Amino acid sequence: MPEDRRPPTEEPRLTTRRPARRRHRYPRHVVAAMPLALAGLLALMVSGNTLRPFERVTTIDGKMASKSDYFKDPEVQRLLLKHGIRVDIHRLGSRGIATQSLRGMDVVFPSGQPAAKLITRQQQRSVRTARPFVTPLVLGTFRDYAKTLVAAGVARPQQAPDGGETLYYDLDMKKFLKLIEDQKTWNGIDFDEHTRRGNAGRVLVRTSSVCESNSAGTYLSILAFVKNGNQAPGTERGRHQPAGSGSGPAADPVLDVAQQVKPLINLQGMAADEQADSYFSDEGESIAPVSLIYEHQFLKHQVDHQKKRGKQDSRRVLLYPSPHALTEPELISLGERGDRLTELMESDAALRRRAIELGFRVRFSGEDGTSEQLNAYLREHEVQVPTPNPDQTKVDAPDLNALERIINHVGSCPPAGQDDGE
Amino acid sequence: MCLLLATALAATTLGACTKDKDHRTLRVLASPELADVEPLLKGLEDDTGVELKLDYKATADLSGPLGSYDLAWPASDRSYLLRLQERGERAARPESTAIMRSPVVVGLTPAVADRLRRGVPGGRLSWADIADAAADGTLRFGMADPRRSDTGRAALVGVATAAAGTGGALRTQDVSCDRLRGFRSGQTLTGASSRELIDGYVRRQSAADALIAHESELLTLNAAGKLKQPLEIVHPEDGMVLSDFPLMLLDGGEHEAYREVVDWLRRDDVQKKLMERTWRRPVGQDVPRPAKLRAEIGNALSYPDQPAVVQRLMENYGAPGNGRAAAGDHVVFLLDFSTSMRGRRMADLRAAFADLSGADPTAAGKFARFYRGERLTVVRFAGRVLQERTVTVRGDGDLRALNSFVGKGKFGDDTAVWSALGRGYDIAADALADRPGHPLSIVLMTDGENNAGLSYGQFGRRHAELGTAARAVPTFPVHFGEADAKALRRVADATGGRVVDANSSSLSQAFKEIRGCR
Repeated sequence: MPEDRRPPTEEPRLTTRRPARRRHRYPRHVVAAMPLALAGLLALMVSGNTLRPFERVTTIDGKMASKSDYFKDPEVQRLLLKHGIRVDIHRLGSRGIATQSLRGMDVVFPSGQPAAKLITRQQQRSVRTARPFVTPLVLGTFRDYAKTLVAAGVARPQQAPDGGETLYYDLDMKKFLKLIEDQKTWNGIDFDEHTRRGNAGRVLVRTSSVCESNSAGTYLSILAFVKNGNQAPGTERGRHQPAGSGSGPAADPVLDVAQQVKPLINLQGMAADEQADSYFSDEGESIAPVSLIYEHQFLKHQVDHQKKRGKQDSRRVLLYPSPHALTEPELISLGERGDRLTELMESDAALRRRAIELGFRVRFSGEDGTSEQLNAYLREHEVQVPTPNPDQTKVDAPDLNALERIINHVGSCPPAGQDDGE
Repeated sequence: MCLLLATALAATTLGACTKDKDHRTLRVLASPELADVEPLLKGLEDDTGVELKLDYKATADLSGPLGSYDLAWPASDRSYLLRLQERGERAARPESTAIMRSPVVVGLTPAVADRLRRGVPGGRLSWADIADAAADGTLRFGMADPRRSDTGRAALVGVATAAAGTGGALRTQDVSCDRLRGFRSGQTLTGASSRELIDGYVRRQSAADALIAHESELLTLNAAGKLKQPLEIVHPEDGMVLSDFPLMLLDGGEHEAYREVVDWLRRDDVQKKLMERTWRRPVGQDVPRPAKLRAEIGNALSYPDQPAVVQRLMENYGAPGNGRAAAGDHVVFLLDFSTSMRGRRMADLRAAFADLSGADPTAAGKFARFYRGERLTVVRFAGRVLQERTVTVRGDGDLRALNSFVGKGKFGDDTAVWSALGRGYDIAADALADRPGHPLSIVLMTDGENNAGLSYGQFGRRHAELGTAARAVPTFPVHFGEADAKALRRVADATGGRVVDANSSSLSQAFKEIRGCR
């Protein structure tokens, strides 16, 4: 893009330059594969295979966040290529996707409904979408920290089937938030009694940026729900006001809750992207005792660990927050090419089947819930099956506008969408 | 030709056909530390057709024109993101992928490491121990310039976070006073980048006993065999800042090539080569590590998200280590020796001075202590100024002399708070005439109300006649016993200082609280 080059004396240019549409319609390996396809043509014709070797492979540009895990999977890529589709992943936080230009994209795949709604309501036309699976928001931690939380009366282990060490704990969010608010350090709740090394750091959850990510926004919904007395902020109309409480009619309950949850998040200082990436790395426990991740990431890791090492990773364990929040990613098409992908995701059983193997909860027709096939898959691979929290309280997310106000207040987020006007 | 070959030999030769297709060149603004990956990049070009042209520049936050670069590859993108935030830019952060990790650690000569460990119960060293040894002159270290190098900046933030000791990220109130004066006094080497720092150290190994840098750089330095003796690597107990060497996409148009580069760099076999060549830690889980990279790195410290906090930290720290001895602050202590101080209160005062002279074993105490190069004036007063003494700390002898001056002082009748403060400002004015612009503050400790000498009004009139520089010297009153809290607050407010209350804790605690406040 020579016309985009600027003289070196100019102000540093800080934004990323816009992706120009100059991708190769035939990726190299496809071009390279054509002769091979030619060679196989005869055989295909004989076998009657429906794969049409000369069909154009369409590259689909998609902005996505953690759900790029799905499209990065080699098996998913293979299945898609059978349909002549290749997905080029542009990695970005879900809310970042919603607040930035979508020019040049065929699909977007935000990790949850709030960002998905932000995007769909900006579209001029009705758009095709697919919601292929759900996954709960969870806190990834390590054995010694989980034990510390159990000893502090904040977490409870789930029963492991063979009486061994459990991979899962239920976390009482109200009590957990109290630890954070009371400025407890890990050593302050006797972490150093559960390990040979201490940690003088504050009890906190590492999240990605609330301005940019779905997970952090959903975590904010949980915090706001808990701090608001297990009620979504902004829905207080019928609520009993304690007699003589100071909040007059002018009080803004949403902002009030936002102010309460702000320090619980901002305590961590700078947010870090790619929580799962650092959590599963060898340095994970040093990087953050508790990281905000999705269940599918953890389950996939445990299945892989079983396959590679013949045992579960018993050092990494999950905290299931109670009340809990389920996230529902939504694949949104922005044009014809995108439509093909959303249709496939809705209709192709193999693609949905693969989602289970990647740890997602998928609803199949005839099932009541979304968990049966996932549980069966986990059992088959000797990974402990998480049990639903006995306290089934589910976080009612604040309505979109209320959540947006909370996010903007907590993250002091820059105004959205300015780079559309370039 | 390619077609024929492929048709004949099928899949195994496909790679060969893709080789000379689609050659692309990406320009990369890279941290000078990353020069060590360059030899591996030929493999990237062979496998993907993407050639990376690395330009090495020491820039902590990618400031300067980025227009001609397709990618950036710093040690960390934290400072860059803070700068975006400060400018209120859209949150259009570039796509960014961690490639390798390395913590900021301390490398110590074996003799110094042994000596320091012996002084610490359990033998596990912390940043506080490093600061303590720097302050008492037994440790000289090198660190890259935090204003220019992202590694230097990460190190500074790490040490300051440990000094604040809150367990959380640094906030404005944590950096309003400079807790790193003692630590800073031990810096004898610096560089625009950590490469420059290390080159300087290799040339003059006698100039420092320790280097603060990435674990990877120190392991590489040790492996190169250029040192008389390898440095011992210490992962400080009180936490570290971890760099993850992110590859960032600046030109969205190069997205496809970027993905290929990132996928290649994160391949297990490439990660293994990177690790072996650079001693950085792989980001994936499936690369077996050598023993030296299995050492626990300790707990990562939270990184501040307020640009002003890091800015203040850097302004406070300045640029020591350029060969000149770091100039210490000057603190004038005005100490009440009226008879009411007799007994427990005087014991408390002596303990406070002993603590500041190095007796305090706490982390906060180790950071707050008196340090080499610091200039200390003690004025004893009662109904008038009784006696005064100034030392520049060069060694333990100076601190012993100061402690004995405080410990053996005689008491007097009455309390002339404002006369003493007037004397304090005269000392300040003289000192500033000698060394203009030098950091100076006054600590006024009293346990009673003013009943002799100048009135507050008289003091105020004299103060107003001082030159601008002397007038700007802040006074930090320490409220003790029956002192007049209102009057003390008034003088603190008038001079830009702050009152601390020693009654609720101790004099030692109160002095520590205002150390480094200016």
